[in-house]
Amino acid sequence: MRNISLSLAGILLLALLPFGVGGYEVNVAMVILFYVILAVGLDLVSGYCGQFSFATGAFYGLGAYTAAIMNRDLGTSVFVNLPAGALVAGLFGLLLGIPALRLKGHFLAIVTIAFQTIVYLIISQWTSFTGGQVGLTMANVGPVTVFGVTLFEIASLRAYYWLTLVMTVICVFAAWRLANSRLGREWIAIRDDETLAAAVGLDTTRGKLTAFVASAALAGIAGVLTAHSLRGVTPDDFTIWISATVVAMMVIGGRGTFIGPIIGAIFLVLMPEFLGRFAEYKMLIYGILLVVAITVMPEGVVGRLRQRSAR
Amino acid sequence: MDLFLQYIANGVVIGSTYVLVAVGLTLIFGILGVVNFAHGEFYMLGGYAGIMAVTVLGLPVLPAIGFVLATSAIVGVAAEAILHKPMKNRDATSSIISSFGLAVALQNAALIAFGPQPQRLQTSFSTIPVEIGPIFLPLQRLMIPIMMVVLISVLYVVLRYTWTGRSLRAMAQHQTVARLCGVQVERVAVVTFMVGAALAGVAGMLMSSVFLVYPIVGNMIALKAFTVVILGGMGNVAGAAVAGLVLGIVESLTSAYISNSMRDVVGFIVVILVLLFRPQGLFGKAVDRS
Repeated sequence: MRNISLSLAGILLLALLPFGVGGYEVNVAMVILFYVILAVGLDLVSGYCGQFSFATGAFYGLGAYTAAIMNRDLGTSVFVNLPAGALVAGLFGLLLGIPALRLKGHFLAIVTIAFQTIVYLIISQWTSFTGGQVGLTMANVGPVTVFGVTLFEIASLRAYYWLTLVMTVICVFAAWRLANSRLGREWIAIRDDETLAAAVGLDTTRGKLTAFVASAALAGIAGVLTAHSLRGVTPDDFTIWISATVVAMMVIGGRGTFIGPIIGAIFLVLMPEFLGRFAEYKMLIYGILLVVAITVMPEGVVGRLRQRSAR
Repeated sequence: MDLFLQYIANGVVIGSTYVLVAVGLTLIFGILGVVNFAHGEFYMLGGYAGIMAVTVLGLPVLPAIGFVLATSAIVGVAAEAILHKPMKNRDATSSIISSFGLAVALQNAALIAFGPQPQRLQTSFSTIPVEIGPIFLPLQRLMIPIMMVVLISVLYVVLRYTWTGRSLRAMAQHQTVARLCGVQVERVAVVTFMVGAALAGVAGMLMSSVFLVYPIVGNMIALKAFTVVILGGMGNVAGAAVAGLVLGIVESLTSAYISNSMRDVVGFIVVILVLLFRPQGLFGKAVDRS
């Protein structure tokens, strides 16, 4: 009950944010929301199901490019692109999940790295379809119509921020429901001991594949939202560094905890902003902090706090 | 036909770089189980160390290579202290995150120290042309495959016939048993990182005469090295050597006969095929299932 009221208060605060701050801060808040979706999604497959993935950036890119290409060729709006992006990314998640069934640990990490690289190379080299290195630009989101009737217009940054917030809340809630469902408990069983999970009759194949698909679909949604927010896509927004950043957010916050990756995402997006005065050094400090954090606190902030309170 | 041989030669030069970087990467993975994201930064630092040695210290080429080997080995020792030593008894995630952080830190440290503008290494060797039949290469480029063969041969002999090499291979097979047999795991870890960093550093120095050096140059090289490592089989040194040369030649021929933009695509097409049909790599052994 306390958690629910806290989350509602947080959402309300975020909803009121555009009234209190300028455009730059709203943009930063939006980036935080994108990363919250990505980190929560990754946590499902890596934190709960224990399957290592370094391909978040690829699914993120697949979602974004689905939106950009559909917008270019079919003129679809963000509301058509959202399910489409989730579907495309989810299908590729299934594709990656299949080899992942046979591999573990480092080998799985390498396969996901390869997948990430392949997706990056396709979107950066297939110029006629994806615009190559230059990427694609998109039109404004514009008015939202249902059967020819204009419902409302998403022209301003503020309106788009609210749309992003609503989608983030939906995604995070869906992920929370999944993590606490029977399926979520199956994932945890697979993570803790796969042989045992199979021995007690759990379908580990189904468990792993659903985790990959759910994680990829969430990243796809984040991609669609990002593409519309930036009004375009370039391949360099979806490199392996994005994947690694999301992994870092999840790990620093706390793997396998639900709130941890959210805290990690907020922290890692905001940190460079607060280092603003040392702009030149901010990425250097970011790197060093990452090394220090993982060395002294591998279970993450939330994991460490829970250990302490359990003692 | 003459042009064809020239393309092959160019491919061998590029491929030798891939071999040098990928062999270190695959060693560190195979022996210590560390997926090292900062490996491209060893290459980048080697490039800057080479430029420092030649332009600031005024060293001739061969001592400069020695200088780069030494500095890179020191970088390797430091990297081991950060990436491997504190991560004992932890799962793979920790060292991967840590190496990512190290890569970001090193790239930005280089950006602050050397600036964003690309730099080129000019040595007394760059103006000496060498002609072998129809093939033409500046001596400095020819140095890359030569150094690759020398270093990989030395590595092979060390791995095969010395105590250090035996303990390295023992570690790769089974860490606990190796420890029980008296292998000093800590020392082996340091040596592995030193070797990996030194190989990548020399590659970075030699390539900085062909491609330029800039703070994020390591990204693409690390990507290629990961491709080579997958093709060769994770942890397989000979596999990485063959796969590196093959990738270099295939890339060179592709950019010559198909199109330059297909150059990077070819590598990944091969990777897809390999992952589909032989996920353990072209030369790897099948992975044990639990």
